[in-house]
Amino acid sequence: MKSRVVSIAVLSLLCLMVPATWAQSEIQVTVSLDRDTIGMDEQAVLEVVVTGTEQNLPAPQMPSLAMFETYSQGRSTNISIVNGQVSSSITYRYMLLPTKSGVFPIDNIAVVYNNKRYKGNRVELTVLDRGVAASPQLEEKAVDTQGKSRDYFLEAVVNKTSPYVNEQVTLTLKFYIAVRYYGTPELNEPSTTGFWTEVLGNMTPYFQKLHNRNYRVIERKYALFPTQAGELTIGQATITVNVPSTSRRRDPFGMDLDDFFGRGENVTIRSAPVKLNVKPLPVEGRPANFTGTIGMFGITATPDKTTVEVNQPITVTIKITGTGNIKSVAEPLIPDLPDFRVYKASSNEKTSIIDEQLGGTKIYEEVFIPNKPGNLEIPSLEFNFFDPKTRKYQTVKTRSIQITVKQPEGYAVSPEVPYSQSGVVIGKQASDIRFIKNDIGRLTSKGRLVIFTPLYMVINGLFVVSFVSLLVLRLHREKMTGNIGYARSRKASRMAQKRLTRARSLAKVEKISEFYAEISLALLAYIADKLNISPHGLTSDRVTALLKEKGADDALVEDTLALLHKCDFARFAPATLNQEDINQSLENTRQIMVKMETVKFV
Amino acid sequence: MFKNILTGFMTGLVLLCYQAVSRASTDDDFLKANEFFQNKDYSRAIALYQNILASGVESAPLYFNLGNAYFKNGDLGQAILYYMKARRLAPSDDDILTNLEFARQFTSIRMEGVQLNPITTFLESLVAPYRLDTLAWWSSALFILFFVFLSLHYGLGFRSDWIKIVTIVVLVMLAVSSWMTTYKYRHDYLTRRAVIIAPECPVTSGPYEQSEIELEAAPGLVVEILSESGTYYNVLFENKRRGWIKKELVAEI
Repeated sequence: MKSRVVSIAVLSLLCLMVPATWAQSEIQVTVSLDRDTIGMDEQAVLEVVVTGTEQNLPAPQMPSLAMFETYSQGRSTNISIVNGQVSSSITYRYMLLPTKSGVFPIDNIAVVYNNKRYKGNRVELTVLDRGVAASPQLEEKAVDTQGKSRDYFLEAVVNKTSPYVNEQVTLTLKFYIAVRYYGTPELNEPSTTGFWTEVLGNMTPYFQKLHNRNYRVIERKYALFPTQAGELTIGQATITVNVPSTSRRRDPFGMDLDDFFGRGENVTIRSAPVKLNVKPLPVEGRPANFTGTIGMFGITATPDKTTVEVNQPITVTIKITGTGNIKSVAEPLIPDLPDFRVYKASSNEKTSIIDEQLGGTKIYEEVFIPNKPGNLEIPSLEFNFFDPKTRKYQTVKTRSIQITVKQPEGYAVSPEVPYSQSGVVIGKQASDIRFIKNDIGRLTSKGRLVIFTPLYMVINGLFVVSFVSLLVLRLHREKMTGNIGYARSRKASRMAQKRLTRARSLAKVEKISEFYAEISLALLAYIADKLNISPHGLTSDRVTALLKEKGADDALVEDTLALLHKCDFARFAPATLNQEDINQSLENTRQIMVKMETVKFV
Repeated sequence: MFKNILTGFMTGLVLLCYQAVSRASTDDDFLKANEFFQNKDYSRAIALYQNILASGVESAPLYFNLGNAYFKNGDLGQAILYYMKARRLAPSDDDILTNLEFARQFTSIRMEGVQLNPITTFLESLVAPYRLDTLAWWSSALFILFFVFLSLHYGLGFRSDWIKIVTIVVLVMLAVSSWMTTYKYRHDYLTRRAVIIAPECPVTSGPYEQSEIELEAAPGLVVEILSESGTYYNVLFENKRRGWIKKELVAEI
């Protein structure tokens, strides 16, 4: 038992140690320069990025860089969590000011962690001789008409002035400023009518020495694609920047108020317009199906599967990758394929910037549906473009794709029928169908179903009702013969009515005594029938007790007793009663019986 | 009183006359359409048959002839649609069954992986030869008979063994015929079926224009409509494959 616990503990420890070991091996040191060539009057920024899964990453050990003056520009930390995996990176920036010209390798930048040394990659920085970095034109722009150096100026430069139609021209706006400024300069983009424009972004600011002044240079780059041949102009760009005013305000203690409040005066600087002479594409060697794409591209086609059944779709992903105006890349032409039906499924693009060149990947997805079994081929697809470097049209091709198309199984309706019916054409010539009918037959209302017609429901319902009625009748009859109490109760009203009729006829022949005796009997017999007891021996007290026991209300009991008393009285003194009393007694008897129908005797 | 009876009688007479005239006109149109068919003018025959249907009546021969006209006109989807409508009204008509089977051979796509459930196939074969109305009247007759015997036994008190036996036999027959009627109603009317009528019918993964095309269906294929969303039907093919088809590309049976 003990040894088992120890084993589990050791295993757990090992499990905990494994990720730690992995973490150690995941430290990376990446060294980069913002530019690989600078002049003696310029600076380069060296970036050292330390990446790892540890949160407390160590600082890099910098080698001695004797040919540069090195200044730290701080560091920034980035921590990210992806799928529960924590990774962090610290970026250290150093400004390098050259003291000598030449080509200088920078290596041996390393990080030591857990007694292990992680070395960064090697970079090279070329330092040109003094004065070579800045062009004479630029030096000229840095001075005003009076020969005094400018505090700030804006320059627009293009990498080529005679491009082809749809060839990329890189426009760089360079804002030079040698004085302090407040806030962020506001740029008004240049007008680029006649161009399709894509912003490449802002570059990292750097410093450049002109006329012994240190200018901070802020660059913004654009990829411009001329859409027409001829002379095109890139309009002026303007930049508004807040700089200290020429007449500085100072407080009584000599402090600069502009500096203190961080405000000065707004100045607007303009760049000069740039003219381009756009050349049309050469006619010579232009392919017939050329769609106007310029740049350098490659093409691939990849199917999602190569073995399918007839009529099952194959998605072929066609990727066109390269540099150039990727958004204008047209879909490659797919020839007519008798063995396939072809549908365009989707298209999308991913743009990227490589060495200031706009490029990326355009992806088309095409669905090919084979319409017959066998070994079929999707032929190679062609894509052509104009390469401005070689000044020639080029055609690239995909590899042909071999598809194995299987015959589907399990079709049970008519398996002998071939899968493709291209040879069979239905229509006027098809004569194998049976001929039309000459009689229109029995016409019915469209959609009429007999089960929902009233006739159908009534006929069926009628028999159910008849059966239920017969059943109820039969049960009633059986109860009447088998249950004396039930039969007496059911017949009580009828018997009472008979007695009242008889009483009425006795009244007519003025047999008053018999009349009241009959009424009394009718009432007592009614109560006796309802309770299934003998009417003989029913006294007033017994009637009162029975009625109250069955829940009759007091008024009914009183009325019943009053009537019975009246009957007894009339039987012994009939001479005192007249016709009105007789009628009243009959009516009272009737009403009492009606009320008694509501009493639950059973 | 006499006036009311006279008005009722006259109204009935007018209705009867109208029905007779209407029937005569329908018969004329039917014969004319047949003539067009015989003269191979299928488009006009179709128009005239459709004209009769538009008046709100239907019959198996009318659907059959219309199916034939569509078939001869090269419209396979519509042909199969009307043959199936005809089969619903006259399920045992040999001409209809033969032409439907013949037309279905021309669907250019075969659905792979169709697995026929032997129990379902057997049950379908039981009800297939009968119309719903026929089964309903059978059920009704057995129902009435059952209640007559019940009334004899329980209502009128005829207590003999042969009544008991006959009542039980009728009850069993009633249960079978009621089940057949219900099955037929569910199969033919409650389950929504449609025939693909468009020459090209992409089946997509969702009810949107941007949805991926999964396969291409062909005219004449029969699908079961499961649900609908906007302008699309969610359909089930014979091989249990599901997909979305635009409503305008199919016609409900």
